[in-house]
Amino acid sequence: MRGKVPFRAVVRSEWSKLRSVRATWWCSAVYLLTVGGAGWLAAAGTDTAPRADVAISTALTGFGVGQLVLVVLGVLAVTTEFSSGMALVSLAAVPRRTRLLVAKTLVVAVWCALLTVLLVVVCALAARTQIAVPGGMSMRNPDVLRALGLQVGAAALTGVLAVGLGAVLRSTAGALGAGLALVMLLPPALALSGGWWQVRLSQALPALRVGEDAFLAAATTWQVGMAVIAAWAVAAWVLGAVLLERRDV
Amino acid sequence: MIEIEGLTKAYRSRIAVDDLTVTVEPGRVTGLLGPHGSGKTTTMRCILGLTRPTAGTATVLGRPYRKLAQPMRRVGALIDPRARHGGRTAYAHLRVLAESNAVPLRRVDEVIELVGIGPVAHERVRGFSLGMGQRLGLAAALLGDPDVLVLDEPVNGLDPEGIRWMRELLRDLADEGRTVLVASHLMSEMEATADHLVVLGQGRLLADLPMIDLLGRHAAVRVRSPQASLLARALERAGAAVDYEPDGSLWVEGMDVIEVGDVAYLSGLRVHELTQVTASLESAYLALTEDAREYQAVPL
Repeated sequence: MRGKVPFRAVVRSEWSKLRSVRATWWCSAVYLLTVGGAGWLAAAGTDTAPRADVAISTALTGFGVGQLVLVVLGVLAVTTEFSSGMALVSLAAVPRRTRLLVAKTLVVAVWCALLTVLLVVVCALAARTQIAVPGGMSMRNPDVLRALGLQVGAAALTGVLAVGLGAVLRSTAGALGAGLALVMLLPPALALSGGWWQVRLSQALPALRVGEDAFLAAATTWQVGMAVIAAWAVAAWVLGAVLLERRDV
Repeated sequence: MIEIEGLTKAYRSRIAVDDLTVTVEPGRVTGLLGPHGSGKTTTMRCILGLTRPTAGTATVLGRPYRKLAQPMRRVGALIDPRARHGGRTAYAHLRVLAESNAVPLRRVDEVIELVGIGPVAHERVRGFSLGMGQRLGLAAALLGDPDVLVLDEPVNGLDPEGIRWMRELLRDLADEGRTVLVASHLMSEMEATADHLVVLGQGRLLADLPMIDLLGRHAAVRVRSPQASLLARALERAGAAVDYEPDGSLWVEGMDVIEVGDVAYLSGLRVHELTQVTASLESAYLALTEDAREYQAVPL
């Protein structure tokens, strides 16, 4: 018997899946336009900033809401398989289910990261050309690079979280609702209600804007912010993988 | 070859498949027959590792489906013609599947030609009719040129020309030595296609036998003769079971037309009619499943 199918074949198939549906291109276009547009507008509306990292932070404002689109993209990549019945065919073709989920997650996470790399370059350019910073703004400034890198990392993790939610809940409405609540509604709602516990809880939720300047949510250090979103992404994904292995299609 | 042993699948409220043991041999078309809800689809899903059995095992070519190294090159499956993402084109759908099993892309063009969906290959599958969906599903099943085919209601929604095409295709695949398992509730189609039958009722195995045997059980010869009573005696002496029909002809079981004709000739008796009467699969099947039908129609 010939050898088993190489993992890269499954990855190639998942990449073909992702790019052969319109939803992917719609989501990607909306993501690029909202985050890039918001970043450019925010930068254009700001004349000066005291430090380079403040300037870059202004230009990254759009990620606060824009990354929600990545949740939609990741969720749809999984739930449309189940809603269309495609999962029957997909899992018959790749019966090692965790392998299939790993390939899909990889493709979604890499796509999210690539789009975000493009965006942070646009946002950095906006900050540099539109906002005056004493001493100028060097792209080699470690604070600037860290702020940009964090967005890329957070975008990839958001993709993983979305795929995980999709695998757990299987329904588009359910997974989108849960994703929206986790990254968009609960963190600011809890932070604004103001109690000590509520604020702690808000910090423990994966708000989209990672770092000190959390968008409407309670601020954390960037290390805590990344740890929180990574923990949520891993937890949702592992639960999704376990359920995918166990459940019937 | 598909081997099913003690397969049981229980859902919360009912048992879909109940201790099913059956072997599907290569080189012939095996029909999986049964009324709605008799466990045909559940059995197929268990074979394909889509559904986890409560008890028992199903193996394909000696291994559980989930352990196959190159599943699409071993087994081609058509479970649901609507199992596809409506936004993809037929070509993209097949391409995704081919890539997942490292099947070369030229094979995608081959199966598109083979099932005759060339003109619509680059249209989104959302608008496909049921018959087109069946052809696309069959194309997907054939992508890996597999040794085993598992097809659930493949002629559902096909036009007469398509049904005939499907029948000949299944015949050819079996003649090439492949294992072909086809589930259907369409009797006439099964009668024309299958060599062997596995009949289910309420999840249990009712029969596992060659088509000819099932039909033969209910086969008979009708013979009309002006010397009916003499002929009846001659036939009974030769070992046949003979009954008188209301119109005076004889109903002979246990002999074929040639034997009946020879007996008449050797006895010097005249024969005016000699007819082979085969039971239709439908009547044979109905006799078999009479007690097992879950949803009885209410007699008027």
